[in-house]
Amino acid sequence: MKVAERLLAIVVRHPDHRDSIVGDLREEHARQVRRLGAARARRWHLRQSAGIAMRYGMARLLRRKPPVRWITVATEDQGAQRWIGSRDLWYAWRSISQRPALASVVVFTLAVALAANSTTYSLMDAIVLRPYRFPGIERLLVVTTGDDHIVDRENVSPADFREWQQQSTTVASWAMSLWWDANLSGVDIPEQVAGFRVSPGYFKLLGVTPLLGREFSEAEAQQGEHRRVVLGHGLWTRRFSADPQIVGTMVRMDGEPFEVVGVAPAGFSIPDGAEAWAPLALTDAQWQDRRQSNYSAYARLKDGETIERARAELTAIIDTQRRDHPDTNTNRQARVLSFMEGMADPGAGPFMAISQAAAILLLLIACANIANLLMARGAERAAEYSLRLALGASRARLFTQTLLEGLLLSVMAIILSMPLLAIGLGLSRASIPASVMRFLPGWAFIAIDLQLFLMTALLGTAAMLLFSVVPAMQAIRTQVADSLRQSGRTLTAGRNRQWLRSTLATTQVALALALLFTSTLALTAADRTVNGVLGFDKKNVLVAQMVLPARTYENADKRRQFVADVTDALRGIPAISDIGMTSHIPAGFGGNSRQFWPEGVELTEAEARYVDYRRATPGYFGALRIPLMRGRWFDDSDRVDGTAVAVVSTAVARQYWGDQDPLGKRFKVAADGPWIEVIGVSGNVTHNWFVRRDETVYRPVTQEAPFTVAFAMRTVGDPTSLAGDVRRAVAVADPDQPIASLTTLETQVAERAAGFTFIANALGVVALIALVLSILGIYSLMAYLTTQRTQEIGVRMALGAGRWQVIRATIRRAFGITVAGTLVGAVLAFALGRAMQAMLFGLVATNLLQLAGIVLILATAALLAAYLPARRAARIDPMTALRET
Amino acid sequence: MAPIYLGEFEYAVLLAVLHLHEDAYAVPVRELIEERTGRPVARGALYTGLDRLEAKGCLRSRMGDATEERGGKARRYFTVTAAGLKAIRATHESLSNMARGLESILGHR
Repeated sequence: MKVAERLLAIVVRHPDHRDSIVGDLREEHARQVRRLGAARARRWHLRQSAGIAMRYGMARLLRRKPPVRWITVATEDQGAQRWIGSRDLWYAWRSISQRPALASVVVFTLAVALAANSTTYSLMDAIVLRPYRFPGIERLLVVTTGDDHIVDRENVSPADFREWQQQSTTVASWAMSLWWDANLSGVDIPEQVAGFRVSPGYFKLLGVTPLLGREFSEAEAQQGEHRRVVLGHGLWTRRFSADPQIVGTMVRMDGEPFEVVGVAPAGFSIPDGAEAWAPLALTDAQWQDRRQSNYSAYARLKDGETIERARAELTAIIDTQRRDHPDTNTNRQARVLSFMEGMADPGAGPFMAISQAAAILLLLIACANIANLLMARGAERAAEYSLRLALGASRARLFTQTLLEGLLLSVMAIILSMPLLAIGLGLSRASIPASVMRFLPGWAFIAIDLQLFLMTALLGTAAMLLFSVVPAMQAIRTQVADSLRQSGRTLTAGRNRQWLRSTLATTQVALALALLFTSTLALTAADRTVNGVLGFDKKNVLVAQMVLPARTYENADKRRQFVADVTDALRGIPAISDIGMTSHIPAGFGGNSRQFWPEGVELTEAEARYVDYRRATPGYFGALRIPLMRGRWFDDSDRVDGTAVAVVSTAVARQYWGDQDPLGKRFKVAADGPWIEVIGVSGNVTHNWFVRRDETVYRPVTQEAPFTVAFAMRTVGDPTSLAGDVRRAVAVADPDQPIASLTTLETQVAERAAGFTFIANALGVVALIALVLSILGIYSLMAYLTTQRTQEIGVRMALGAGRWQVIRATIRRAFGITVAGTLVGAVLAFALGRAMQAMLFGLVATNLLQLAGIVLILATAALLAAYLPARRAARIDPMTALRET
Repeated sequence: MAPIYLGEFEYAVLLAVLHLHEDAYAVPVRELIEERTGRPVARGALYTGLDRLEAKGCLRSRMGDATEERGGKARRYFTVTAAGLKAIRATHESLSNMARGLESILGHR
């Protein structure tokens, strides 16, 4: 019945006629129920209604003249009966569709701003706010130690850990992990896998059940029993074709057979993108060790305990340890962190916050835009409102209808923003290289979810309602007589309203300017990390990184031999001009730092500063074109049994010896270590933008051979084409040795900054949208005002005003808005720039010239936006303008 | 003024409204036409016909009272206007004129 009657309501436009038909059918239906029974009567009713509806539809289609609009004026009692009826919706739709251009600008503006907001929010949610999503995560802790400056998760010694385990009462279970470069061999191409050695119960503590098999038992955490592995889902799929029978089989890792006991569920790669886990089997001596402190500790709280209580308890334990073991624990203060805090990438948070702030600014600009348009529209409709008021419509009704129009617009904007959001997320996902993605734990969670949808919808509706209220209030306050009188000749809105609208446009310009400037800063900074002065030449360098397994290469001579063998094999490749090897390549992951003790200065453990500690062959400096400032590079005379020597960077020389000649000076890198003599000074190298440490000490590989090995090859022509040759050269030296990463130095540098570049680019996109929106705002406002003044312009021209005078008169307002907007915006941009400088690692300075350039661009664009409608106004034929009322 | 032309169905509708006097709304109008002509009448055709006749000025409608059995919806009563009456007479006359002399075939009335 309902459906049938609604159908009739659509085609029968006259309300009385509709009611009478509906009533007739009900009357007859009642009779049919008695004759045919309820079910058949209902079908009868539907059939009849459909028949009538069709007749009416046909009649309307065939009618030549446009249908008579039955203008019904809502009366008070009707309003009381039904607050918002389908009629109001229909009316709202008509009012919107009468001005399609205005409506589409509003909808588009809001949709873009909403999509930008939701995109940044969902990125932030996935990467920063909730990168880990497993049950009971709020009860998980990361416990570590550190000094005032650095929070490093991997700073726990086994002896300290054991005491925490024994003494704490607030923690239910503990687990520990240690980085493990797992070399997977015995397959066609050996591969280095990011692995971790973990204590038994690690998976259980994190609340993760292996997809296949099981995790390690206590018995397997013993030397001799420890050759077992849980494979990561990605590794299992990639290298073992997701073999469901894999549990119980053997794989070769670090040259030894390991039994596969389990496969981790998809998406689990904790910590740090791990793809393989093996039991942590420490000897009794290792359990006594306080010096070796590169372990991570995880804890799960007992039921009913809070993180505050655990923090208090563990702080007491760790403080006691510091007092009891002054030689090792001096710099170890307690750091009890929630799992999120402990695992968070320290850089990501503030940057995501910047883009989120930018997106919110964008939303503000969009809202100002929309408010302006809706207010202009409201002024235009003042006459309509007064007419309707005069005809008896209630103010409440008009208010509701105006709100309803806003609501309808926002619904359209929300619908439109969804595909835009999908595009935004897709682009974000595509713009991060796969090699970096693995280290962003929340990456898998970037998706449109219900929560995001609701948030977007709420935001959109709230913004739109807020800005519908202004015209709605105008509608309510309309004084019938006043506006009817006003609408006679001049249509320009009252002074107050004009002022408000100009302020909104000014705000837009100011915000857009601030956004443009900050994003330029971020983009410049991102560009510098990749293309700035690094201290070496990254062009045409191929880098092969690998880690030698400790068991096979325990002997330093074997490591030296491997380096020599590979270097010899590489020499045979004609396209390679220089070959060098170092322990850690610039912009690579990992690194090594040591405390620096210069001769003649008494420093305590706490006072000695850290320097970057790298091992290199003589060829390395040539291959990367690192300049020699003083002295000499390493050569064959630097033997194991000879004097320990080192090359230091200029920053080290300046820091410790000032103006004195650094050559021949001596230092130690451990309090009880041997003296090392400086034989050369190199140029400074930026190894990592994010931890700026220019102080570097290079030691010759001949005297200290590392396990981490990176060959750098300067090539003639495209470096990537030599990948196969390099793999063969390494295989000649050791067929079981995998290359962890084979890439160009250029890629390495770019990927290291990929996250940063990504955020800077996102900021740039947001700023561009902001620019477009604010220009659009000025344009639509000016076009609108000009249209309203058509008549006035006509009069002026009829009285003899020239084209140029008309343009000047129209553009004057836009000029004022632009000047005020850029002034306010410049101040804002300058302040924001100062704040950002601190976050950008000193990469950029607030550049006034840059600021001036942006102001110029923005001002030009704004004035152009105002000029176009002005020119149109000047072309108006005075007679047409006067006739148009 | 030339009389308004009526179609056969419109003619029947107007006659039915005349028959029903004060009680002429869509339901009995349709029943009366079906009863007297013996032909089914589609409701949709009747409603659009009534509207058309009103638009031509042959009918006038007014809203009656709402009743319980109609779910609170009022009846729309129709009365024939002077112009409508004129149209009926004209149509009736022209049809009778056409039939004159054919009484033997058409049978007596």
